[in-house]
Amino acid sequence: METLQYALRKLIYSIPLIFGVTMISFVLMVYFGPDITYSMLGKNATDQQIVELREQLGYNLPFIERYFMFLKELVTFDFGSSISSGEKVTSILGKHVPVSIAVALPSFILSNVFGVTLALIAAFHRGKAWDKLIMVFAVVGMSVSYLMVVIAFQVIFSTSYGFNWFPVQGWVEPPPDYPDITFFEIIYYYWYYYWAYVAVPTMASVFVSLGYNTRFFRAVIVEELNRDYVRTAKAYGVYSWKIMVKHVLKNALIPISTRIIITLPFVIIAGNLVLEKFFGIPGIGLVTYDAITNGDLPIVKAVVTCTAVLYVMALIFTDIVYKMIDPRISYNR
Amino acid sequence: MIVKKRHTLLWAFIVLLAIVGCQKPFSNRAKDISVFRFSENGAPISMDPVQGSSQYANLMNTSIFDTLYEYKYLKKPYELKPLLASAMPEVSEDGILYTIPIEKGVHFTDDPCFPDGVGRELTAEDFVYSIKRMFDPKNQPQGAWLWQGRIKGLDEWKEAGSDYEQPVEGLRAKDRYTIEVELTQPYPQLVYTFAMGYSGVVPREAVEYYGKEFGIKPVGSGPYQLVKFSTKKAVLKRNPKFREQIFDLEYEGYVPEEHDWANVKLLQGKTMPIMENVEVYFMRESMTRWNSLNKGNEIQLGTIPIELTHMVAESLKPLVLKPEYAKKFNGMNLPDFGLVYFLFNMDDPKIGYHPDPEQNHRNFLLRKAIRAGYDWNQRNRRFYNNVGDIFPGIIPRGLDAFDETLPMDSVTADYEQAKAYLKEGGWTAENLPVLDYHSGTGVIYVQFFEQFRGWMEKIGYPREKIKLNLHATFGDFSKAMKNKECMVWGMGWGLDYPDSENVLQLFYGPNKSPGSNASNYDNPEFNELFRKAKVMQPGPERTELYKKMNKMIIEDVPVLTGLTRNSPYIWHKNVVFHHSRNPHASLLKYAYVFDESELEKLEQESAGEE
Repeated sequence: METLQYALRKLIYSIPLIFGVTMISFVLMVYFGPDITYSMLGKNATDQQIVELREQLGYNLPFIERYFMFLKELVTFDFGSSISSGEKVTSILGKHVPVSIAVALPSFILSNVFGVTLALIAAFHRGKAWDKLIMVFAVVGMSVSYLMVVIAFQVIFSTSYGFNWFPVQGWVEPPPDYPDITFFEIIYYYWYYYWAYVAVPTMASVFVSLGYNTRFFRAVIVEELNRDYVRTAKAYGVYSWKIMVKHVLKNALIPISTRIIITLPFVIIAGNLVLEKFFGIPGIGLVTYDAITNGDLPIVKAVVTCTAVLYVMALIFTDIVYKMIDPRISYNR
Repeated sequence: MIVKKRHTLLWAFIVLLAIVGCQKPFSNRAKDISVFRFSENGAPISMDPVQGSSQYANLMNTSIFDTLYEYKYLKKPYELKPLLASAMPEVSEDGILYTIPIEKGVHFTDDPCFPDGVGRELTAEDFVYSIKRMFDPKNQPQGAWLWQGRIKGLDEWKEAGSDYEQPVEGLRAKDRYTIEVELTQPYPQLVYTFAMGYSGVVPREAVEYYGKEFGIKPVGSGPYQLVKFSTKKAVLKRNPKFREQIFDLEYEGYVPEEHDWANVKLLQGKTMPIMENVEVYFMRESMTRWNSLNKGNEIQLGTIPIELTHMVAESLKPLVLKPEYAKKFNGMNLPDFGLVYFLFNMDDPKIGYHPDPEQNHRNFLLRKAIRAGYDWNQRNRRFYNNVGDIFPGIIPRGLDAFDETLPMDSVTADYEQAKAYLKEGGWTAENLPVLDYHSGTGVIYVQFFEQFRGWMEKIGYPREKIKLNLHATFGDFSKAMKNKECMVWGMGWGLDYPDSENVLQLFYGPNKSPGSNASNYDNPEFNELFRKAKVMQPGPERTELYKKMNKMIIEDVPVLTGLTRNSPYIWHKNVVFHHSRNPHASLLKYAYVFDESELEKLEQESAGEE
């Protein structure tokens, strides 16, 4: 009950935050975003056509009126249709967000699980060969350009210049329309192609994010290792993996979970532009990028709003997780 | 014990998946070759013909919708043939009235927008409706300029509120299968405009049923219908109602010496569209596109990335692939139907027209000096693999008024000559104006600028007086151009139809910004010649006028031109395709992916003939 009350209270407090974020992004979009009029009119626009289109796009309306229209869209969660394609924004999000989540989730899970594991090993062997080896690996992962990693992994795993194990690009399509297709065949088809398309992007993504995660998690765990209870345990000769996992990791979970949860909104809504571009994945990252460069405000507004809302939810969720990890934490202070 | 059992089950499941996971789904079924996988380096935003300004949209539109005319598949120079029309138009003697009969029995594809979901017959009224849409501001049309001020009553119809129930004087259905177009003055390019994706015929029911989403849920009567569309891919399947069209080699402009290498002979007698399914992949990353193409079982057509040309090809012009790639691919070096050029804003008194005749002349000499410093050959070597076509003037190869006899001095760098022009104009490092170079954002554009700045330094232009002004998006860049804010900048132009008028109109005074004349060149003599030529039917007299106008542009230097880019396209050996460029876009219906046995048979036949 206390948690629910706290969540509701936080939710109410966060309303001004959401409005603040949307206000700033709206100002940026209106005053610094591209003017779509000229790219929409094609080669030989006349003055009259320019005026007509600007009127249709609402560019002539006062800022405050446009902002109130945006707020109305935000409250009703109806962002209208894309200026470019005419498709409903909710339909665009519905089509592309699940793809981005499906791509990002395996790497999100793996990079955090591996990150924590490697950090524990490194911290446990602090200053020794294992620690140094893992840290070298982490620094390499952090230092190599993401773009280079993506290209290299694509060449190594997906092309005839390398192992040629996975498709170069694409995404899971509905299965062929065979009249005698079985349910198992359909399930297996989706299972097979999902992993086929997601494998290389996941490997590239894990390779890069693992470095950052491992370094961060190791620092947190090492700090925990300096505490009195660990020193006492060591003095009694019970310093072991059991203590690392059951006590050290548990006590280090607050900063670790914060980092993990805070990145969740970006996994859900932001997509990954580089992966989507290079692996031909129809995710929301590329849609958002195109919307920003093309000045497709309805899509940009929807993505910004969803990200802000999810971010606030993630913050609330983080506080709830704190309490679950450490019941001594009180919501009243 | 239970934990152990769980572990065993989990491992069994993982092993099972690993074993089964190695086998491709449906690998025991017959191989499906009824798909052609095409690729493009950009994506269309909408497939509504009124918004089809990009080449990507044009490709899709001409596959989904019918246009009255289209270009013959192999014929060069381009030649039109009837598509939805049943014959070429009947034109009145004064060139004002066009009567166009259309095919009977053409149906739109079945769609929920029609009563009972059954596509109805396409009639002349549908064409009238489709052109009217281009003059309805609600549709945010991009191609109205093609018919603006040309068709009687169309502009007035728009002024009166674009009411579809109201007739347009010069655009009418004479009967169910005959269209009449009445012009305000002769417009010899009109028939070309009816081959463009903009003039695709749409059913009113679908536009009203889908509203704004018509652009992603198009309904037409063309060879294909759209099944799926995303930013990465479009899936087309054969329109089962498409009328019978049989491929005829001779009629399509087949010349054995030019086309045999592409196996186009295999198309003879085939019913179009040949492939049951076409997938168009929109791939902006050139390396991904190449990797996918080279893999063998993904896309079947693409380009060689500029970074890999020397690895893949022995020569680019003509395209000769290295043996290991020649085994896998056919290909051609395809020239753009257009050009790239560099403009001066003639309305900017610092570089263009000046009210003071003396300063005006000095500006003219300054432009000439910049032209003499502009090294097209180096641009070609550095950025276009040295396979671009450099030519003087604004009319590129492939058009009737292309002039082989023009001297090349206007496209050949001569730094000493450039310095001499500056000296003649009294220009010194101190009094030269700041060159405000506008550009889109991107590494290549910055490299273009740096190369340009290097040339200008060679002719004595102070480095600090050459400023780069980047625009974040093409929309912003376009806005600056239309508002006459750019001083000098590079541009590209793809021809809308194979008539020199399409490039010469870029310098016609009344088309000044925000129109297509971005240089704001305004020469009364040129304008007069243009007005005269634009109503003339094709012929030697008109060609001479075009050539004269071309020379005037070279003489007055509102633009530095030009270069036609070439792209090395390659496709898998078991694909029959002969690539072409805008305005010829309706290419997908000719693509054919064949069984290897068919190729062997063909090779045996050719060996037998030899």
